[in-house]
Amino acid sequence: MTVHLYLSLIPEALIASMLSPEEFGAYYAVGTEKKSSGQAIFFEVDPKFRSKYFRIPEGIGRCVPHEDGTPKSSIYISVYRVLEHVDNSAMGQLYLTTKDGRTLGLESTDVIPEMDGGLHLYKEIAPVSPLVASRLNPLDFYDLIVKNPTSLVTLPAIAFAELRLDELAEDPEMGEVGDLPYKNMDHLRGVLKVLKTKPVATKMVDRVSSSSIAYRTVKNGFFVGNGQKLLYYPMPSKEALRENNYRWWRSANM
Amino acid sequence: MENTWLYISIVASVISIGVAFYLYFWVRRQDPGTEKAQEVASWIREGSQAYLKRLYFALSVVALILGFIIAIVFSFDLADVAAGGATIQPMNGIRMAIAFISGSLCSAVAGYMGMGIAVEANVRTATAANESLNKAFKLSFYAGSVMGLAMVGLAVLGMTVIFLLTGDAQTVLGFSFGASALALLAKAGGGIYTKTADIAADLVGKVEVGIPEDDPRNPAVVADNVGDNVGDVAGMGADIFDSYVASTVAVMLLAAASATMDSKYVVLPLILCTLGIGASLIGIQFVRVGKNGKPGPALNFGTVLTTVIFAVMVVLLVMFADINIGVLWATLTGLVTGVVVGFTSDYFTSEDRKPVQETARVSGSGAAINIITGFSYGLVSIVPSVIGIAVATLLSYYLADSSGLPGIYGIGISAVGMLAISGMIVSADAYGPIVDNARGIAEMAGMDSHVITTTDTLDAAGNTAKAITKGFSISAAALTVLALFAAYTEVVTASGVEISLSLKEPIVVAGVFLGAMTPPLFSALTMLSVTHNAFDMIEEIRRQFRESPGILAGTERPDYATCVDLAAQGALTSLIMPAFLAVGLPLLVGFILGPNALGGFLGGSIFTGVVFALLMANAGGLWDNAKKFIETGQFGGSGSDAHKASVVGDTVGDPFKDTAGPSLNTLITVMSLVSSLFAPIIAAFHLF
Repeated sequence: MTVHLYLSLIPEALIASMLSPEEFGAYYAVGTEKKSSGQAIFFEVDPKFRSKYFRIPEGIGRCVPHEDGTPKSSIYISVYRVLEHVDNSAMGQLYLTTKDGRTLGLESTDVIPEMDGGLHLYKEIAPVSPLVASRLNPLDFYDLIVKNPTSLVTLPAIAFAELRLDELAEDPEMGEVGDLPYKNMDHLRGVLKVLKTKPVATKMVDRVSSSSIAYRTVKNGFFVGNGQKLLYYPMPSKEALRENNYRWWRSANM
Repeated sequence: MENTWLYISIVASVISIGVAFYLYFWVRRQDPGTEKAQEVASWIREGSQAYLKRLYFALSVVALILGFIIAIVFSFDLADVAAGGATIQPMNGIRMAIAFISGSLCSAVAGYMGMGIAVEANVRTATAANESLNKAFKLSFYAGSVMGLAMVGLAVLGMTVIFLLTGDAQTVLGFSFGASALALLAKAGGGIYTKTADIAADLVGKVEVGIPEDDPRNPAVVADNVGDNVGDVAGMGADIFDSYVASTVAVMLLAAASATMDSKYVVLPLILCTLGIGASLIGIQFVRVGKNGKPGPALNFGTVLTTVIFAVMVVLLVMFADINIGVLWATLTGLVTGVVVGFTSDYFTSEDRKPVQETARVSGSGAAINIITGFSYGLVSIVPSVIGIAVATLLSYYLADSSGLPGIYGIGISAVGMLAISGMIVSADAYGPIVDNARGIAEMAGMDSHVITTTDTLDAAGNTAKAITKGFSISAAALTVLALFAAYTEVVTASGVEISLSLKEPIVVAGVFLGAMTPPLFSALTMLSVTHNAFDMIEEIRRQFRESPGILAGTERPDYATCVDLAAQGALTSLIMPAFLAVGLPLLVGFILGPNALGGFLGGSIFTGVVFALLMANAGGLWDNAKKFIETGQFGGSGSDAHKASVVGDTVGDPFKDTAGPSLNTLITVMSLVSSLFAPIIAAFHLF
């Protein structure tokens, strides 16, 4: 059986597994006897990838089938500062798993979406997971946090997604909420209003934001960078998801 | 001449049953779809049939016991008994018992036919939705028409044949009591079943685990779909059958008891039902989805067209059959009231209207505000319907009275007018659960997303039809029981007992209080049954997920049968107390407190029954649609705080709208029928 390497973002971990990405997603979200349930976001990492920070060969060596022949679901290789130590070039598809265990794979692309004006909302996924509003577009936000930090707050690597603000991006006070399920909407409006009227680049919306994401709120896609390279995983449109990945889309909208 | 009309009624009802059979076989000839879809449909079909077999077995035992009691009681010459004699006429008892059992049987056959075709049509509708919306709509509506046409055909056939053979309206009352007794148990049992499964499936599946509606990984998903059939098809069909028959019988009794009315007015309600069958048969042909592809307007057009055709037929009847013009006014009053009340219910439960949107908007402040707002709008929704019923009562009374007919006869005729087009109303109503099931099958069988989109569109129209039907059935029941109430007083008076229903008399006031208490108590018993049974099923679903992790991972099939069995067993054992309330309590009140208290009891139960039925049907529908409105992407959409609050409101509303609410009109009808049927005995034997 093939052994896969997965870089999980919720929580941050490097895992060896004999399960395919879809099976791993289902297992990771729901398939334990403890009946856990929860979203999962993970990359498939090139199994040839090696790093002095991780004991990958040992982990792969321990990833053997159970006595009854069933595949080993997971061997945790590391659960700390993983993202910053995995080369972007080793990252394959990004997998988004819903709370009930349905998995969607996304390919990275070199084409970065056109950056628009207005206000932005960023959900940082790893290594920390605050919700941040900003005047900066995703590339400038990444620059500020990782590549060319000009503030005290800096990270060696980051995985984040820009979330939709729709009408709030232009009109924080009166814009319609629509289908944006964000908590404490009054606070979000207040933060966006400050960004619109005062010369600040970013402002914290929620410092202990839940690590999970309502996938339908992702505006363009997912960004992953470690200072050397920024990877972009575009999210298909709602229409394309409904047409081509109906079961996943339905679970994602629960 | 009366006999000619009776033969025409028999021919019309046989045609109606014949068309129902034709449509039954036409639907069965359609493509049943892929092997997977057929497998899923077979789970639902087997679960539905297993429940109905158990229900009908239990009901057969109840019907035979009640039939035996009726045979004994009505073997005595009641007038003679009241005078201290003991003349026994066994044929009277046997005749009444046969009428009673025939009523139960006809109602059961109509329900079984409706459900039988619904579980065949669901998978065929899903398959047709793969081709086009038009084809799927036609198939599902024709399948619903099987229920509508079979129901009116069997009802009219049963009543007409009994009257033709006996010439006695009181014996037809036995037929009506049989239909109502079965309807109450079928409706309450189906309501308990469907909401037990629905709530348990949602609370564990959606809320705890996060799996969508109709996901095959949910162990309760088949029970949920079975519930749609036993509750919304068989149960609702039995309910309307009961109101339809009861309203007709009430008017026949009133005319028979009147010393001034011609005998043709005894058979007139049967004539109106016959015209209603004709109007429905024509109206059904014009229910088509046009180029705009909207099934909702197609169903509404069918209802309105059938109403107009029926009205024209009544005008012609009055013009050419020497019928008092008061009949026309009373019929039109009922007809217009039915349509107005039906569409009023739609206003309070429609996503396009303020009540639903406002309830959705305030849901962002939590479940408590959602519930308070929805409940309040539910209370407000009583107002237009009650005013409609009050206006219909007064108008039909005084218009009939001013035309030389007894006013109370006019009220009864307005109820018959309202229900005469039941063939069309039930066809549109039964369409709803069929397309709902089709959607479930499409999900479970993994059909393409465009099939889901099509069935979603069909389903939305079904919800509107359901709301309108509920408005119709509640307002018709209100007018029917008013006529039955009058029939009860006539029967008591005919037994030589002077009846007084003055509120100055404490015994009457006591009766009013006891009657007013009954619908809330009945509601509580049925809803507690739902929560009790849902609790057991929730534990079972959790057990399956806990012990078989492969279910959620999609590698193991859940044990659907256990959940189906739990729901069926729970629903059947929960019926004992509600059944006692409906049949036993009026008799207890009558035999202990006497006919005056029983009159007060009926009055009290009618008023709270109607109010509770309207409140529960409309508040429940409103909460449901407030949640759906948020899910369309309003106020934060799925997963938002508003959505979480609306899910709580929807769950509270589920047993309101589908268990307790719809059973209340049957409850008050059954209590009125029991009272009318046993009135001569109660008049002779009572403690106070």
